[in-house]
Amino acid sequence: MSGTVILFLVLYYVVVLGIGYWALRRGAGKDLEGYLLGGRQVGPITTALTMQSTAMSGYMFLGAGGLGFAQGYWALWYAAGDIGGGLLNLSVIGRRMRKLSQMMGALTAIEYLEKRYPSPAIRLVAGTLTIFLLGFYVLAQLIAGGKGMALVTGISYPLALAIAVGIILIYTFMGGYLAVAYTDFFQSLVMLVGVMWIMIAALSELGGFTAANVAIGELDPTLLSVWGRGLGFEGQWGVVAGALLIFSVGYMGWPHVVTRHMAMSSPATARRAGFWATIWSLFFVPAPYLVGIFAILILPGLDDPEMAIFQVAEQLLPAAVTGLVMAAIMAAIMSTADSLLLQTGSIASRDIYERFINPRASERQMVMVSRGLVLAVALVGYAIALVEPPTVFSIVIFATSVLGSAFLPAYVCAVWWKKANTPGALASMIVGASVAFIWQYAGLVETTQMHPMLTGVMSSTITMIVVSLATQKISPVPRHVLDAMNVSAAVGPIPARYLDATEFGLANEAAAIANGLEEGGQNG
Amino acid sequence: MFGLPLETTLLVFGFPLFWVLYLIGFLVVSRGWDKDTTKEDDAS
Repeated sequence: MSGTVILFLVLYYVVVLGIGYWALRRGAGKDLEGYLLGGRQVGPITTALTMQSTAMSGYMFLGAGGLGFAQGYWALWYAAGDIGGGLLNLSVIGRRMRKLSQMMGALTAIEYLEKRYPSPAIRLVAGTLTIFLLGFYVLAQLIAGGKGMALVTGISYPLALAIAVGIILIYTFMGGYLAVAYTDFFQSLVMLVGVMWIMIAALSELGGFTAANVAIGELDPTLLSVWGRGLGFEGQWGVVAGALLIFSVGYMGWPHVVTRHMAMSSPATARRAGFWATIWSLFFVPAPYLVGIFAILILPGLDDPEMAIFQVAEQLLPAAVTGLVMAAIMAAIMSTADSLLLQTGSIASRDIYERFINPRASERQMVMVSRGLVLAVALVGYAIALVEPPTVFSIVIFATSVLGSAFLPAYVCAVWWKKANTPGALASMIVGASVAFIWQYAGLVETTQMHPMLTGVMSSTITMIVVSLATQKISPVPRHVLDAMNVSAAVGPIPARYLDATEFGLANEAAAIANGLEEGGQNG
Repeated sequence: MFGLPLETTLLVFGFPLFWVLYLIGFLVVSRGWDKDTTKEDDAS
């Protein structure tokens, strides 16, 4: 084990913990809004980088590199959509969601859905689904962290896993959202420097971009095609469309990512954040896929494709730089894992515990529940990752496909379509999640040549439209929700009377009572 | 170009170019969004 590598890793962990401690001193955990949304005071650059580093997980260093190694340039279909994912998210729903969530007084992405589509069923279904899927997603990050650290430092996999989990838990507990956002900021920069360093080293080793491509073409020309090794995906536009969608429009359905909109310092933050997110993605996103492709030449005998980037770093870089790259890889993993854990805890405390179990829970109790669940999810994830780790690529594609399919229409229509109502949103979430899940596990991808993300999003979108239109008379969108949507669409500060979130909650209850009376009258 | 077939070159360089153009369009369309910012937001 190289002492320099360990020195860099320790230095990296110290900085990350220092940022967490600083966030704590800033009062990030003093109340629930401070803990869950950083007091809605996060600026454009931090918003952009926490969004991007949260979205770019350990998948980028394991799954993306492995896909490039296995399939050649076909892997770039995933990067092509991913480059614009953050920009699309911020430009389509960022500004409006920030305004609407403030008017509603929503502190989590699931609470936001219930207030836009008033019904406890929305919160119960969305909350349960999200906790389950984010738990899965955390598992992928833990496996990535354990595998990578064990390989590079030489320590055992269980110990490496325990170190990664321990550090993530400490700083997530310390400062809540603000700690996560500011450590993400730092980690996104480390990720960018690290991956660019490996790519430059790989290009230098191979004599440049063109020379590397010529050499790959001589080995197997199909690796240079857009259809994968042996043209295995030739003409499969359904799979290509899914690969493009999953990390572009798909982001708009990920609760742990859209929460970033709610924490922005102002609605206009979305504009400048869109700029920074795109600049960062243009440099970062294609690099891990390309390094994976170049690894075909550098590591011809590689057994586990998901280890391509680690092995390239180890082979080409001096120990000091390998330490930096290792820190970058851990940054990608931890910046996603902390956000996932915080969101899982937030949803469990606010959307399940307070909403359905203990409505009179104090803020202190809720923070305790949130932290308890974070600990439980991390420990269960640790146990599974230790006993039988599946591939990072398969878990990430599963979790993100189902998340995107379930929630994309609900979040987009929440701000853009005034006819989107509660039955439409509920049916859309259930159908989208079910279709994506079944498509993946019934082996329908191979037989239909359609990506689960594509079929999932298509089915949830159609369901939202059909059910909303069919149920307009029995379940109209309440007047106060329509008013809030109009305010969120208009450019200008939120009028003072809309800033009393209590009023919004009461209006939801009043609308429910009025509906009940109306139905009672019709029945009578 | 760069030792790649044409469609692969388009995949590697065309999509980033598309997103840059999208960004420019977004910045133009959203140039009035600063009116959303209140004095309280400025203070934070």
